[in-house]
Amino acid sequence: MSAYRERAVAEMRRHNPGATVTPIMRKLVADSAAMLARGPDDASRRAAAARAFAIGHLDDLHDSLRREFRKRGIGYHQAVTAEDATATVKRLLKGAKRVAKSKTMVGEEVGLTHALRDAGLTVLETDIGEYIVDLEGRGPSHITAPALHLNRSRIREILAAGGADLPDDDPARLSRHVRDAVREFFSDCDAGITGANTTIASSGRIVIVENEGNVSLGVSHPDLHIVITGLEKVVADEAGALAMLEVLAPNATAQPLTSFSHFLADPGKGQERHVVFVDNGRSAIAKDPRYREVLKCIRCGACMNTCPVYRTAGGLSYGSPYMGPIGAVVSPLLWGDGRYADLATASSLCGRCTEVCPVGIPLHRMLLELRADGVEHGELGSAVERIGWEAWAVAFAGSKRAKVVSSLGRFGIEHFGRFFEGFRPEGDPRTAPAVDVERDPGAIAGPGVGGRGPEEGREKREEEQDESDGLVELFRLRAEALGVEVVEKVKKEEGDRVLKATAAIANTGSVLLTGKETARRPLLAAARVVVEVQAKTLVRNPSDLEPYLGDGEALILTGASRTADIEKQIVRGIHGAESMVVVLKGG
Amino acid sequence: MASVALFVPCFMPVLRRIDAQHAERVLRALGDEVTVIEGRCCGQPAFNSGYRNEARKTGRQLLRAAQPFGTVVTPSASCTGMVQHYLPGTFEGERQAGALSIGNRFHEFASYVAGHPAVDTLRLRLPGVVAYHDSCHARRELGLTSTVLGLLSRVAELDVRRLRFEDECCGFGGTFSVKHPEVSAAMMSAKLADTDLSGARVLVSTDLSCLAHIEAGARGLGMPIETWTVAEVLSRALE
Repeated sequence: MSAYRERAVAEMRRHNPGATVTPIMRKLVADSAAMLARGPDDASRRAAAARAFAIGHLDDLHDSLRREFRKRGIGYHQAVTAEDATATVKRLLKGAKRVAKSKTMVGEEVGLTHALRDAGLTVLETDIGEYIVDLEGRGPSHITAPALHLNRSRIREILAAGGADLPDDDPARLSRHVRDAVREFFSDCDAGITGANTTIASSGRIVIVENEGNVSLGVSHPDLHIVITGLEKVVADEAGALAMLEVLAPNATAQPLTSFSHFLADPGKGQERHVVFVDNGRSAIAKDPRYREVLKCIRCGACMNTCPVYRTAGGLSYGSPYMGPIGAVVSPLLWGDGRYADLATASSLCGRCTEVCPVGIPLHRMLLELRADGVEHGELGSAVERIGWEAWAVAFAGSKRAKVVSSLGRFGIEHFGRFFEGFRPEGDPRTAPAVDVERDPGAIAGPGVGGRGPEEGREKREEEQDESDGLVELFRLRAEALGVEVVEKVKKEEGDRVLKATAAIANTGSVLLTGKETARRPLLAAARVVVEVQAKTLVRNPSDLEPYLGDGEALILTGASRTADIEKQIVRGIHGAESMVVVLKGG
Repeated sequence: MASVALFVPCFMPVLRRIDAQHAERVLRALGDEVTVIEGRCCGQPAFNSGYRNEARKTGRQLLRAAQPFGTVVTPSASCTGMVQHYLPGTFEGERQAGALSIGNRFHEFASYVAGHPAVDTLRLRLPGVVAYHDSCHARRELGLTSTVLGLLSRVAELDVRRLRFEDECCGFGGTFSVKHPEVSAAMMSAKLADTDLSGARVLVSTDLSCLAHIEAGARGLGMPIETWTVAEVLSRALE
């Protein structure tokens, strides 16, 4: 039995992940499609083009990054292997003792948290989902929703085992419990570690998206901020980064944009910032024409959200930090020692991953390539299997011989099929195939009780139309859908943080803050955020925001801080105000 | 009157010989002259398992048999996709060009019938209710969903129901169903639950490979669900 199969069977017997994951993902995928449909038609094409350009020009873009980082005073580092990466981070941490870490897949890949803890540092996972799976001790089961495999009662048990006193398992209560623990840690910590969604070569800015506000704290609170990310996480310019943002959150979580989209520029006063780019096999992948496109991945998770194998056996079955179809492709490539070779077989090749991938990675075709590689390198299949396929080739080389083979096959199934059913694994109800079954004339005649009509019951999604071409009306509609109040005047209250937006995005209900307005500490400390928007600065989509982005610090806010890490239930007001008001002027 | 070859997929004579006869009958009703190609295989099982040399050897025999024909019809979207999209890639140079050119003469049975100039002359009637299973290869490799549904809608008095989660795989996936039987069977069970909800007791698809797997599951679970190929539906609708 392959390692994947062993893990999948164990997961299915013990936890039946499909029961939790499948309904969540069916809804999410439908919602994602609706969210994408309301964005610009060419978003995926532009995102794919930006990523394709980046992986074709990695050296040039990194040269530019090095220069731009130097101008900004950001440290540039490359790590060749996983060990180099953890060693570099340890070195940069110098005398730090308490480290607040937010979610980074590359961090998982190189085993960063373990390495730092082994070195005696105190590391806290500050993302709610990561905090929970860290306590559970089995790792994340999804790249954007780490605790997806756990339901609320299990999460309550895990938190209780960690010492929490929780009267019930309300997701809001559980989320806020973790939030409080994280906040307390931030009041006394020496360094923040985050990932990055991309870096921008032309301006040397770092783009990180998040919902909870823990990244906001991590990049602003401690005096030392270290980014760890993949070598491929770079785009040429702001247009490329905005194109990525346009498809990232809709695919990941069916949101227009995440609550916070950070464009980090110069480190703050007294602050130090470093970026560690991890190669760990990526530059070799970039040179392989069969697989290089996998580096276009923006880690949105759309492929796993839609994958029936992922949904059925869950993310932990992959045994890798990268799961689902992207994990099945990238894990054997990054760990070239064959340990993940069998992940390439964990697919029915249905092709949904390729269909939904916003940056056009032909994932199921790569799985076929990896299967061929696995056989060639002796990591998949067996000598017996090869002889079997050789025999197959001989059997189907002429019709007379094949007829004999077919007859033998029929005979075998008819007479011995029942016998082999005795060897069925537990959980597989299939009988031996039946040969030429007789038809029951009643079968086609009509439905049983409770049947549906032709179209009845199929999910009809209401085509969401933009009611008006007017950007003001559109902004109001989208912002209010996010729980943001849009008014013409507001009565100031104590604890308000009043900010002036540089621009706003109508179709996502977002506001853009730049320069001093992005200061994250007062933003998160506010009881209520009030943002003044001039109607003339409204643009339609994120990609239209480029002229307003400037070249310094920028922050796009899309609704209040929130989380959906527990059963995908939205809880608003995590780190930061629960309520946000936009004062729209000149509308 | 067109002269066509009918390629009978390797598993069909083993599992359900009559489906080949159904397909042949429909082609003849359209006025085509039919030559049957049997005893060959497109090589997909070996290819999907990573055995490319063996797949090429197997598929080459099919291409050889198909070579004299301008049109090759096959009641399987899966085999059609293999011959068109993957088999040529196992050859190099001129042979690849040859494989591509022969591959492009392959047509999935339902799409061939739907586009046949004589399709309007078929008198199709089959009172009853069926649900449609959209095979992944018909849907995504070949993009045939609306073509097949359009063809089925020509059958008078046949109520063709769509499954709620029509775009989800049934879990067959060739050797996947053998290498990962537990996951495969769970996906199959979800497909059966969806079929059951449709109220139909007959599930129709372009691909017997999916159907045999689903039917084996239905039998094991004691569900009274039959699986029919599009060829069987059309053939019975001719009666």
